[in-house]
Amino acid sequence: MLATKEDRGVKVAAWAAEATGRTNPDFAGLTFPTSRDERWRYTRASNMLGRAMHPATAPGSAPAQRPLPNLDAHRLVFVDGHFMAALSTGVTLDGAYIGTWGESIKANPGLLKTWGRGAFADKEWFAALQAEGSQDGACIYVPKGVDISSKPIVVEHHLSGAGIAAHPRNIVCLEAGAKAEVLLWTSASAEADGLMNLAFDARVDEKAELKLEFVQDEAGQSAHVSHLHLTQAADSKIEVHTATARAHWLRNDLHIEQIGERANATFHGCFAPGDGQFTDHHTRIDHAMPDGTSSELYKGLAFKGGKAVFNGKIKVHQDAQRIEAFQKNSNILLERGATIYAKPELEIYADDVRCSHGCTTGQFDEEAVFYLRSRGMPEAAARRLLTQAFMAESIVGLRPEAREHVEALFLERIHA
Amino acid sequence: MLKITNLHARIGDTEILRGLNLEIATGEVHAVMGPNGSGKSTLASILAGRDDYEVTQGSIEFNGVDLLGLDATERAVAGIFLAFQYPVEIPGVSNMNFLRTAIGSIREQKGQDPISAKDFLAKVKRCAQLVELDGKLRDRSVNEGFSGGEKKRNEIFQMAMLEPMFAVLDETDSGLDIDALRIVSAGVNAMRDEKRSFLVITHYQRLLDHIVPDRVHVLAAGQIVRSGGKELALELEEKGYDWVKEAV
Ligand SMILES: Nc1ncnc2c1ncn2[C@@H]1O[C@H](COP(=O)(O)OP(=O)(O)OP(=O)(O)O)[C@@H](O)[C@H]1O
Ligand SMILES: [Mg+2]
Repeated sequence: MLATKEDRGVKVAAWAAEATGRTNPDFAGLTFPTSRDERWRYTRASNMLGRAMHPATAPGSAPAQRPLPNLDAHRLVFVDGHFMAALSTGVTLDGAYIGTWGESIKANPGLLKTWGRGAFADKEWFAALQAEGSQDGACIYVPKGVDISSKPIVVEHHLSGAGIAAHPRNIVCLEAGAKAEVLLWTSASAEADGLMNLAFDARVDEKAELKLEFVQDEAGQSAHVSHLHLTQAADSKIEVHTATARAHWLRNDLHIEQIGERANATFHGCFAPGDGQFTDHHTRIDHAMPDGTSSELYKGLAFKGGKAVFNGKIKVHQDAQRIEAFQKNSNILLERGATIYAKPELEIYADDVRCSHGCTTGQFDEEAVFYLRSRGMPEAAARRLLTQAFMAESIVGLRPEAREHVEALFLERIHA
Repeated sequence: MLKITNLHARIGDTEILRGLNLEIATGEVHAVMGPNGSGKSTLASILAGRDDYEVTQGSIEFNGVDLLGLDATERAVAGIFLAFQYPVEIPGVSNMNFLRTAIGSIREQKGQDPISAKDFLAKVKRCAQLVELDGKLRDRSVNEGFSGGEKKRNEIFQMAMLEPMFAVLDETDSGLDIDALRIVSAGVNAMRDEKRSFLVITHYQRLLDHIVPDRVHVLAAGQIVRSGGKELALELEEKGYDWVKEAV
């Protein structure tokens, strides 16, 4: 017998109740995404419904190998949606607060109202799921004029084992002229098979500068859905460098909104799904005010049996004149049986804009492989060198320690 | 050093080499000339191990080893070097990283210790001087945006760095200006010694004024149709190829 729409609705509701630990999660009329939704056309989320998962009542153990151990940084560590105070070094520094969302709303309940349910919660089913299941995450507040960028803040989110869904919520607020660097790092144990459903909201005020590095390095079979939303005011600067170093099934939504004039955004990303892996990056920039600039670069590699999606939307609003928006997406299918769906989406309602975009999907230049082999490199070494070269411009914005880690994970997928 | 016997090769259905014989002794420089499309680059590619070509008959012996049994990498490790007629651009790979990786690979496969950073840099300096390669070119991506002549110079720079036993130069003179021709030739001559052999493919006798060959061969329609001393090049320059073809 075919499952009816109602049956499916009931199944989804039951799964969502378990995954959030709430009896009746509120989806505000949103339905579970299917291939009929344009934004989920190539992305099958339904496998997740077949796996039982629930929020952890207490954290499991943190990974033995912590990211970038030698980096001098503030650290906020979360395991299964719970804050690990003993592993963290939250501080108050020059009036800046580096701590947790949980502590922040306890001290100041008004924040909940200010930040609401997150920017996507009324648009995306998974964001609503995250809002309903919302757990602890980082809260970083930097007051007017304070610059704490000399020491980065590493925010770790780890899934420790099987059957766990985590919904960490992270908030960053940089007041006028403030500066900070944040390194968001997700990981999962080899046994993990649940869901990392992460929200990250940032408000970057006038002349403030935020650099965000986002490394996704998840072993195991868990799924990852993240919702990143950043708004930027006049003359502010945002850099986002996302690297999907390792993920079984991942959907990453990045949305930057320029709500002030002369805002500047750079966002780079890279992904390299191997056999049986899936990666989906949906990015969107809204140029809502004049004289803003944006520069986007995403690079993808797909190995045999790997599948990736890239969708880059640029929306230039009617009064956003003299915008310069640049987008480039290059992909390489390393082997037969690799798939990448790439789509730029430009919506331009202003008349005086400079927008350029380029999207290519190809293969390695076999002439180059032969050239390198003729100089003594074994085939795998030649391919590694070409992979490194191809990925370089998309990971150069990561700090060197993170870059090396990501690169090593990509290269280890290349065999002779 | 190298002995090619009755070599037949094709690509798809097109037979390109049709019974080619060529023997190059250790320490010798041989030149191959011949009309466009006669199979010179094909010969060079087959020597370097490009696998687009199918060898249907014949053999290539390199220092007693069956060359056709080795892949491109193994041939480079065995000491074969091809200076490409059309060097490939490799964006994102710096010339230095490329050479360091190449030398490292070869040494590793030979079971030798890695070259020290100091020795490597000293060698780069020495070899770059040899072909007067601009320092800026060394640091750029391999051949990317290089002029035709700069690419050729870079090939010879790589040859000097890798110190092959046997080098094939496929029209390295094309695209070189008069000064560059002199410099590149001087670079090749500096590497000539009794242990190393060269196969120089060219259309112009002019190059052979600089790199004086021991033997000159004419390749036409997939065969060596005539061989002689360096004066053969002069004769060809004067009379063209019809004369040799008729003589066959
Ligand atoms: N990949 C290929 N596919 C089909 N035909 C090819 C291929 N490569 C070479 N050929 C053909 O083989 C013949 C020999 O080519 P080759 O490049 O060896 O000539 P050449 O002697 O080097 O010529 P030139 O002096 O112009 O460099 C030509 O007719 C060429 O078109
Ligand atoms: Mg040729």
